[in-house]
Amino acid sequence: MQAIKGFYGEFGGQFVPETLIPALDELEAAFNEFKNSEKHLLELDFYMNNYVGRPTPVYFAKNLSAKYGVNIYLKREDLLHTGAHKINNTIGQALLTRYMNKKRIIAETGAGQHGVATATAAALLNLACDIFMGTVDMARQRPNVFRMNLLGARVVPVASGSKTLKDAVNEALRDWSKTVRNTHYVFGSALGPHPFPTIVRQFQSIIGVETRRQILEQAGKLPDEIAACVGGGSNAIGIFDAFLNDKKVRLTGVEAGGLGLHTAKHAARLTPSPRARIGILHGSRSFVLQDSHGQIATTHSISAGLDYSGVGPQHSYLNQIKRVQYTLATDRQAIDAFSALCEYEGIIPALESSHAVAYALKRAPRMGQRQILIVNLSGRGDKDIFHVADYKGIAL
Amino acid sequence: MSRYDTTFANLKARGEIAFVPFAVAGDPDLTTSIDIFKTYIDNGADILEIGYPFSDPVADGPVNQRAAQRAIAAGLTHATFFKMVRALRAVSDIPIGLLLYANSVHFLGYRTFCRRAADAGVDSLLVADMPPEESDELLAAIKSTGLKSVFIVSELTPPKRAAYICSKISGFVYVVSRLGATGAQSRLPTQAARTLQRLQRITARPFVVGFGLSEPRHIAAVKFAGAQGAIVGSALVAQIEKNLSSKKAMLKTLGTMTGHYKHATR
Ligand SMILES: Cc1ncc(COP(=O)(O)O)c(C=O)c1O
Repeated sequence: MQAIKGFYGEFGGQFVPETLIPALDELEAAFNEFKNSEKHLLELDFYMNNYVGRPTPVYFAKNLSAKYGVNIYLKREDLLHTGAHKINNTIGQALLTRYMNKKRIIAETGAGQHGVATATAAALLNLACDIFMGTVDMARQRPNVFRMNLLGARVVPVASGSKTLKDAVNEALRDWSKTVRNTHYVFGSALGPHPFPTIVRQFQSIIGVETRRQILEQAGKLPDEIAACVGGGSNAIGIFDAFLNDKKVRLTGVEAGGLGLHTAKHAARLTPSPRARIGILHGSRSFVLQDSHGQIATTHSISAGLDYSGVGPQHSYLNQIKRVQYTLATDRQAIDAFSALCEYEGIIPALESSHAVAYALKRAPRMGQRQILIVNLSGRGDKDIFHVADYKGIAL
Repeated sequence: MSRYDTTFANLKARGEIAFVPFAVAGDPDLTTSIDIFKTYIDNGADILEIGYPFSDPVADGPVNQRAAQRAIAAGLTHATFFKMVRALRAVSDIPIGLLLYANSVHFLGYRTFCRRAADAGVDSLLVADMPPEESDELLAAIKSTGLKSVFIVSELTPPKRAAYICSKISGFVYVVSRLGATGAQSRLPTQAARTLQRLQRITARPFVVGFGLSEPRHIAAVKFAGAQGAIVGSALVAQIEKNLSSKKAMLKTLGTMTGHYKHATR
């Protein structure tokens, strides 16, 4: 698929300052050795099974399925240690860091999920850890800031620009360009310059590998459709990857529709709108929300994990070749789906994942009774209860 | 001969190196920005380095990022930017180099951007987040519009890669004096001198050192190390920020500083 190094069709690349190029070359070489080394893969497996909590179940959501007259299954990444799929990637990249003999990892975080997962991996593998976080996000996500501190990480406040996720990425890149000799940057999603989109996909692809095996065991056939939310795109590519060649399996990515496409308050990069254009941000060429002069637009979503102006380059490509369709769910639809999953299945989902659930509930009535729809439940919603209460006007 | 060739040849004949002051276009507003660059010219700048403001400047430190934010907030666009370059070109014949981010060029399209830049009087382009590997299309546009290409080399760049980068340069070699983002510092790391020595064996193109230079003695050191030019950015931009309330004081300070920096190149 990658005709030119690091490209998915016309998307991807290595758009970074020169000082980072040697580090990316080193990383690519190390990753290629790592992923072919039996010894290191066994160690990764060990941590996945004994520390992270893999494999996660594929659960037949019988109450929702009965209500909607279709077979809805949930891939339970919400059951993982630290509460989301993010840890699949951070443990992998922390092992890779050790393999490269580097002693420090840094990461960006928005809501704090990736920050917590990175701090966890750093504690586990004895690495120094600095997490860059916008000051606006720090104020919104104080419990996660405290969690990272408990885990021994330093949280570096980022007060530049919009003081949110994209600025945290800028600051992490700046730090990295100065500290590359002893530091690895653990990108949190299938974003950034090559080889990050490939590395993150590799570490997340376990989701799809398990799902494929589990649904064949349970249902005796492949699903008709799989839905996942798309922030940077790591949980989505993680579950899609094992099905990309199964042309009959429909794959759907769900972006944050925020207050709706008719407003500027959304984070839908792959759903056509005047602000969604091909651009270059944080190391790769992909669809990016921009204003009418080519400055990067700020975004809005009720879920911090989907609130980002860019999207992983492979998703831009899968959209272009129409292998995956991308749609959106609004804040309100996500909240409704959040409540539905709580009430019908006894599962409190992350607001990010609730976007995929919202799509499933919209889609279900148009599917046949025998059909199977799998939703990637990327994370649990404990972190979100305050936002949901706030949204519903309830004081906790 | 290109403007760069003429400038570097004349400087060499006089035993000087180029002083290259930087500011972000449109900071703090269009008119003042034009006056800032004119002040640089009037006080001895040999080459101008103009930054095109971008919302997410990953190669820049806080001082230059805030400058970009001021420029964007004051309404700088591609159209007003090219108008500004025209205004400078109308009063001076010194080379004008642009320092910008990939998205700002990509947004207009590489060919369109280069054509409009060349028409306005720009001499060279350095795209901070576009290494030569990603630059085929841009380099073609640069070449066909008569512009010159500039790329960065750092102390981390291995010799083979440095040779590759230099082979893509038609303007000057931008040597970063240290790792990390732009920003003034008081000490000049010795790595810059070593990087220059390595490079002299690779290419005959002029070397211009930037990132972190803030004092006249840094410029003298860069000259001693064998560079043909020195860029000062954040130290000047910091004075713009410090004097936002008085344009007169701002231009006076920038003029004096430019004079001192230029003196150190002699
Ligand atoms: C639970 C959960 N799901 C999804 C995402 C979105 O990221 P990605 O698109 O990389 O999976 C996040 C990001 O923080 C998250 O915490």
